[in-house]
Amino acid sequence: MSLDLLERELGEAVLAERVQGPRRAEVRLARDRHLQALKALRAAFPELRLSAITGTDLGQELELLYHLRVGGSILTLRTGVPKEEPMVATITGLVPGADLHEREVYDMLGITFEGHPNLKRLLLPDDAPESFHPLRKEVEARTIRPVETSPVLQPVITAESGRYLTLVIGPQHPALHEPERFVFLVEGEVVVDVDIRIGYAHRGIEEAAERRDYIHNIYLCERVCGICNVAHSMCFCSAVEELLGLEVPARARYLRVVAAELNRLHSHMLLLGVAAEEMGFSTLFMYIWRDREAVMDLMEMLTGNRVISSFNRIGGVSRDMTPELARKMRSRLPELKERLEHYLEVFTTDPTILARTEKVGLLSRQKAIDYCAAGPTLRASGVDFDVRRDDPYAAYEELSAMRVVVRPEGDNLARYVARLEECLVSVDLIDEALEKLPDGPVRVKAPRRVPPDEVIYTVEAPRGELLYYVRSDGTTRPARVKIRTPTFTNLAALREMLRGAYLADVPVTLASIDPCFSCTDRVVVVDVRDGTARACGLWELARGRPPAREGA
Amino acid sequence: MGLLPAILRDALKTLFKAVFKRPATARYPERPSEVHVPDGFRGRHWLDLGRCVGCGLCAKDCPTGAIRMVRLDVPITGLHKQRKRMTPLRVPVIDLAHCIFCCQCAESCPKKAIRPTKLFSLVATDPHDLVLDFRPMAMLKEVLEEH
Repeated sequence: MSLDLLERELGEAVLAERVQGPRRAEVRLARDRHLQALKALRAAFPELRLSAITGTDLGQELELLYHLRVGGSILTLRTGVPKEEPMVATITGLVPGADLHEREVYDMLGITFEGHPNLKRLLLPDDAPESFHPLRKEVEARTIRPVETSPVLQPVITAESGRYLTLVIGPQHPALHEPERFVFLVEGEVVVDVDIRIGYAHRGIEEAAERRDYIHNIYLCERVCGICNVAHSMCFCSAVEELLGLEVPARARYLRVVAAELNRLHSHMLLLGVAAEEMGFSTLFMYIWRDREAVMDLMEMLTGNRVISSFNRIGGVSRDMTPELARKMRSRLPELKERLEHYLEVFTTDPTILARTEKVGLLSRQKAIDYCAAGPTLRASGVDFDVRRDDPYAAYEELSAMRVVVRPEGDNLARYVARLEECLVSVDLIDEALEKLPDGPVRVKAPRRVPPDEVIYTVEAPRGELLYYVRSDGTTRPARVKIRTPTFTNLAALREMLRGAYLADVPVTLASIDPCFSCTDRVVVVDVRDGTARACGLWELARGRPPAREGA
Repeated sequence: MGLLPAILRDALKTLFKAVFKRPATARYPERPSEVHVPDGFRGRHWLDLGRCVGCGLCAKDCPTGAIRMVRLDVPITGLHKQRKRMTPLRVPVIDLAHCIFCCQCAESCPKKAIRPTKLFSLVATDPHDLVLDFRPMAMLKEVLEEH
């Protein structure tokens, strides 16, 4: 129906259209008509969200794919960009959440988005050479050499006339293992604006995936994120299975649900513990993490490892489950559920938690849609969307315990409580999947060569919708793998949550989107006279010796 | 149970449970037997040289390139005598320093010659000690069988 709409609105600008499968459609547009298409789509579907922007170097020209979430379906707008003049109009005016997505494409492929408010490096260092865009085909990995430059932090938001103070949090931090740098512009104790700089853990996985066989890539994708490794490997394996046209055995699909939900439980409990500690509630942190051990034990029993599961394979899962193990697992679920219900009571009644989270870090429903939030962050702002129900994969369609947790409040508390309630749903899902576990093989043999095609696959990772775009060219290696992780898209929404918040609430709000947040172990001294910012270590400040001014 | 307030009842329950439970921690390395290793743990590999046919699929599929195929310089006759099979020309050598313990090698092996064991301790002071070479063991077996 959206295809008809586009055809009507755009006429001859629609060059081709294709329905790739259930809930997947694609439209090829003439150059620079994507804005018009997006405008028409947004008017018709107010809840449309941008899932990802994939940029690909096809050799002769560059290609941009805008993956749009319309309900449970993904509509892809495809448009070519000539290499001689890599320029397109920005869509940030229509979809503010496209900010980081466009910056990533600019960084990786050198496509300039005209009108983008802040088109700078995002994943690569600020001092990377101007013309260096690593996903371009002419860039050879072995020719990349480190550039000798002075490590000066770019002033991100210039402080004006001493009214505001720039405060840098990160990039190093001990709490969760993903570094980010947040530059806050504060007025007194209130955050006026925040600039988020990521890329400190950039490992070039998308490029690396093009140089490895599909089999190798399972383990590469699994290591994109250790905590939600099952989601990543499941998404990649399912995408390749779809390219191959493989039918995964029913038993494997159910086992995938068990592994994925255990993964979600351990991820959510990890976060809730850390969040409790951020609020200064260390006992709760220890209690939650103690009960999380039960989940880790179950994971170890099922997959042979506590964290990195290596459970998903192309065509099924790596190992079967004995009936004794299924019984043992099910016998441990009631206690886990009882504990989770207790924590739900703690989170909704404890005055410490309520004081720190209620009506803090508000994200309205409209903002959550505009900024393309994902997962519990989206659902806690009242948007009823879960990939497991709306775009089902594995065996979720066949499980009656699947329930989408939606909370309308949009504050920190809602995001934490949504996660806790999701944990309860996960326990029910595991129980039901183990009960219904069908007999049969857990794996079918997959060919090594993958026929040329492309596929978009999404799963609901613990942090939200995870998207993989895999393009194959008929060899044993993928031609392009694009990964859009949920935290990436939630960062734009985070910026919105932090505006106007108190500085003391920042850690709790950061934790509420379940990213990786930082602590103030690195400060930038701002010279209010010329607005320059310089970094110095905490030890320097402790010794009362701020760094010397440059050139002085 | 109206006699005790709920909170006290919970506390007593937890206390009694804790008193009669085994400690959650294991005294490792003093008492290695206390360490619970689950079935199906993916630990140090075991290569059954009597099954290996030297096809090299494990090395091809290893995502980190930790497996190298090496020539079997001394033909090991005793190993395959009973099964009437050829001795492999090449056998895998696994560098555990590069291994990520995904067990794709065990999965890819057509003869199920490689399999993970429950051995988890990989402590070494020299990285060369982490290279799993099964050839000397096979040769030793050869010598033992001859005498």
